[in-house]
Amino acid sequence: MIWKANKNKKSQCQHLLAPFLIVSLLGSACSFKSHKEPPNTLHLSVPEKIKGLDPIYAEDLYSGTVLAQSYETLLGYHYLKRPYSLTPQLAEKMPEVSSDGLTYTFHLKEGVLFQDDPCFKATGGKGRELTAEDVLYSFKRLADPKLTSNGWWVFDDRIKGLNEWREASLKAGQSDYSKEIDGLKALDRYTVQIKLKKRSQLLLYVLAMPYTSIVPREAVEHYGREFINHAVGTGPFKLAEYNPNSKIIFKKNPTFRKELYPSEGEPEDQQQGLLVDAGKSLPLADQLNIEVYVEMQPMWLNFLSGKLDVSSIPKDNFSSAITSDRKLRPELVSQGIQLVKAPMLDITHASFNMADPLLGKNKYLRQALSLAYDENSFIDLFYNGAAVPAQGPIPPGLDGYNSQLKNPYRQFNIARAKELLAKAGYPEGKGLPPLEYASVASSLGRQQTEYLQKMFGAIGVKLNVNTYSWPQFLETVKNKRAQIWEYAWAGDYPDAENFLQLFYSKNASPGQNDSNYSNPEFDQLYVKSLDLPAGAERTALYQKMASMVIEDAPWIFGAHRMRFTLFQKWLKNYKPHEFAHGNFKYYRVDPNLKQ
Amino acid sequence: MIAYIIRRLLNTIPIIFGVTLIVFILFNLVGGDPTYQMLGRHANAQQIAELRHEYGFDQPKYIQFFSYLKQVLTFDYGRSYATKQPISQMILDGMGPSLSLMIPSFLLTTILSVSIGLMVAYFRGRWIDRLTVIFCVLGMSLPMLAYILFGQYFLAFKWGMFPISGYDTQWPDRMQYLLMPMFIFVAVSLGYDVRFYRTAILEEVNQDYVRTARAKGLSEPRIFFKHVLKNSMVPILTNIVIEIPLLILGAFLLESFFGIPGLGSITIDAVHNSDFPVIKAMTTLVAILYVFGNLATDILYTLVDPRVSLK
Repeated sequence: MIWKANKNKKSQCQHLLAPFLIVSLLGSACSFKSHKEPPNTLHLSVPEKIKGLDPIYAEDLYSGTVLAQSYETLLGYHYLKRPYSLTPQLAEKMPEVSSDGLTYTFHLKEGVLFQDDPCFKATGGKGRELTAEDVLYSFKRLADPKLTSNGWWVFDDRIKGLNEWREASLKAGQSDYSKEIDGLKALDRYTVQIKLKKRSQLLLYVLAMPYTSIVPREAVEHYGREFINHAVGTGPFKLAEYNPNSKIIFKKNPTFRKELYPSEGEPEDQQQGLLVDAGKSLPLADQLNIEVYVEMQPMWLNFLSGKLDVSSIPKDNFSSAITSDRKLRPELVSQGIQLVKAPMLDITHASFNMADPLLGKNKYLRQALSLAYDENSFIDLFYNGAAVPAQGPIPPGLDGYNSQLKNPYRQFNIARAKELLAKAGYPEGKGLPPLEYASVASSLGRQQTEYLQKMFGAIGVKLNVNTYSWPQFLETVKNKRAQIWEYAWAGDYPDAENFLQLFYSKNASPGQNDSNYSNPEFDQLYVKSLDLPAGAERTALYQKMASMVIEDAPWIFGAHRMRFTLFQKWLKNYKPHEFAHGNFKYYRVDPNLKQ
Repeated sequence: MIAYIIRRLLNTIPIIFGVTLIVFILFNLVGGDPTYQMLGRHANAQQIAELRHEYGFDQPKYIQFFSYLKQVLTFDYGRSYATKQPISQMILDGMGPSLSLMIPSFLLTTILSVSIGLMVAYFRGRWIDRLTVIFCVLGMSLPMLAYILFGQYFLAFKWGMFPISGYDTQWPDRMQYLLMPMFIFVAVSLGYDVRFYRTAILEEVNQDYVRTARAKGLSEPRIFFKHVLKNSMVPILTNIVIEIPLLILGAFLLESFFGIPGLGSITIDAVHNSDFPVIKAMTTLVAILYVFGNLATDILYTLVDPRVSLK
């Protein structure tokens, strides 16, 4: 009886396992036709979901990068030359600037076509030619208050009449795009004139940012609020598939104008094979597959298995890829993987709230805390050593950076920190209430906070840590409720002004000067620097401003991070660029090496 | 029964109202102001004020609450703050990937766990029972992340049995990407479910009617499948039906690590971004599904247990 029962159970068990086996077999049986793609297809990744393809919302790097494959701007960056230099993109040449420096005249390239799209009803879906009116329309969209663009700051208070047009739109409840603006005119079909309210060298950088990409009015009106999911630009790639949460596919734009791979670069570019394709028509790749990886592990494993062409190195995998002397590990070298290191043009920092009655009024206290902050060990622990300690606000590679500068308050020195703390009125921290530290809730945030507590604890200063979600954190900082917090700033364009404006008093919270630093002398120099062309005088001003914030210590200057990027042997022409968002047109895959 | 159903449906009104109130209060207490994130770090005070006005953040809280209630009633939650996509479309787009993963995972888990539960209940106290319980405890003790890291590194990267991650909008290509996350879901869920069903079945095995059936000479399979399983169905159904509405939420970790663009990751993104319209939509949707899931469970009880009647 028992034997029989067991026998029955055995066959029962087989039945129970059957569904599992069926699913497993079904899976392997369907293995699996892959979508056909041209051999010269790039496989790239982004670490965040894409927020949209409308250029006026291109606040985050990754949305800007994706949309810049389809949309173009008046100016761009030279792909190979360093330091970063602007080149014409949709403009025929660099603009003519009037002698007073207030009027810029751009001549557009003729024959540039928007990509074919059903929005062009008059031509049966054929893309029409880009004209000066498209430039005016696109720039006015940035200013349209109804659209609440997060890129309005690039034109705010810069172009004659644009702020007034915005105000009028706000009052009327709608924007009149046909209304002429004094500072924004189409002189003829291919000529755009921009008049500034005051002289500014920065306009040109702004015109190379994805925010100022040129869009066709037909597409905006045809797609309405869905325009954010479409890309109808003049660029080298045409959007073929758009799933902002997982995958974006672009195909070569068959109507892209003739644009050639650069034939000049830096001396080492020739040796690194970056000029092999000089003079060839762009884009070099036929297809672009961009996959979204919100987690680092799958991205890294996909790169190692050859399914991605380029990858950053996840923090936890750094030592498995890079040796202690910051070289690529031999096992990766033997696979043909290559490493490239480049500065990120950014700065990390701990901010002091200068509007706070305790920290804002006590320079010695801020200087003491700065001296107690051991940046070298922080860089080793949290950036795997891939960063250089910051001495001031200007990152290396920008005009105004002084490589010889040693910030007297950033040389880790506990004894000196204690001296200054005593001078601040708190010997050994006695009498000093715990400082309120705002932190973002994340495992990394918690680790960094604990480390900071330890460093400040060494001189007798206690930190009360308040942990927030990211929106709460921003709300706390922008409303001047925090005392200390850590932050980072990545340059919007390669000019030290973009870093120094973080200390301009008119930009105080809720603006970008969230440490609320206010120094009339600094402000005066900052305003003066805006008026100056690049040159010795402006460099001296930048350095003077940097020395003022170093002395006043509204920040503990952290680090300028380095980008360590790996790429496969079959990917050609890869050279990191912090600002050329549309640079995928220069890449190509060597199918022979890939096989 | 119809009167009962109508009464239960009417009961959902205060429940949904309570849920909306709690979500609204929680969001306003701890959610943070989304304005700063929406405008970026360059925004000035004027732009912030304009955006707050445009989105109605400057209105009194009670008006904001009433417009939320209106959205709940009309099922029109507008657009996401972060992505500016219509929320109904986001939910529809995310539902397919989530359900593609969750329905087969859930069915497989349920079939396996009920079957294993029956088997180990039958062999109660023997080595197979002990071994299964040990595996169940082990399975429950390991976090899902450990399975994911192991699966991606060994099964996918080292041994090439599955793709490391990815998703395809087309069938059957999508299947290859769903297999490993599906097996991980099953492995993680099996321990708890098997133990639960084993206990439910064992409670029935000890009942007097089972002893009577054995005394009458009924075969063991007949006792188990015809009598024990049927009488164990009430707790089993409760466990199964209550989980069904939650399937729509997907599995956040699995979706994030395997690149599946489902509702789980949409919800978590919304929480991170203070994307209140999406949070409202997802919370209300799940609350409604949960209430209906409960109602469906009660109705199903009458089908499996004649002693239950709905009045």
